[in-house]
Amino acid sequence: MAGKLIANLIVMGSTIIGRAMLQAYRKALENANKTGVAHEAINNIRRASKTMTEQEARQILGVTEQSTWEEIIQRYDKLFERNATSGSFYLQSKVHRAKECLEKVYQKNKQDGTPT
Amino acid sequence: MPHVRKFYPGGFETEMSRREVALILGVRERDALDKIKEAHKRVMVANHPDGGGNHYIASKINEAKDMLMRKGKSGSIF
Repeated sequence: MAGKLIANLIVMGSTIIGRAMLQAYRKALENANKTGVAHEAINNIRRASKTMTEQEARQILGVTEQSTWEEIIQRYDKLFERNATSGSFYLQSKVHRAKECLEKVYQKNKQDGTPT
Repeated sequence: MPHVRKFYPGGFETEMSRREVALILGVRERDALDKIKEAHKRVMVANHPDGGGNHYIASKINEAKDMLMRKGKSGSIF
């Protein structure tokens, strides 16, 4: 009898605590959203995992789908060199990543045998 | 000396942040307006569409400058 009572009490207590914690968690999340902390955190995660899209890579180097690999390399060399001397390292990185991205695309196309 | 600095990964951020602005222009966020203007000019010349650069990068540079300038006018008293 007493055992059953105690067991009941424990179950009830833990559900109440659980509910309270869930509410606190929700509230914290809400506050974080308000201050933009969560937003920033999400952005950071996205930034870390993000690789450049082909579209952006083409925009950065200023080439179209029809451009040949030689044209891309030419553009890349110019932009890379310019940003090394008087641009910023960040932009130089973007140019480099864009080339890296397109390199993969063009290599794949070559293996597939489609002329680009 | 070999180039040891690692390139920043990925593309541009979807929404430009203060951190990215400073990186693009190669300045610190708290630098004086003159310095930012000068940096903008230097980076812009390097990437100007007329001189072999392209519009995408140029627009990013201008966006970065606008953001810092806006911030510089309002807000902090320093």
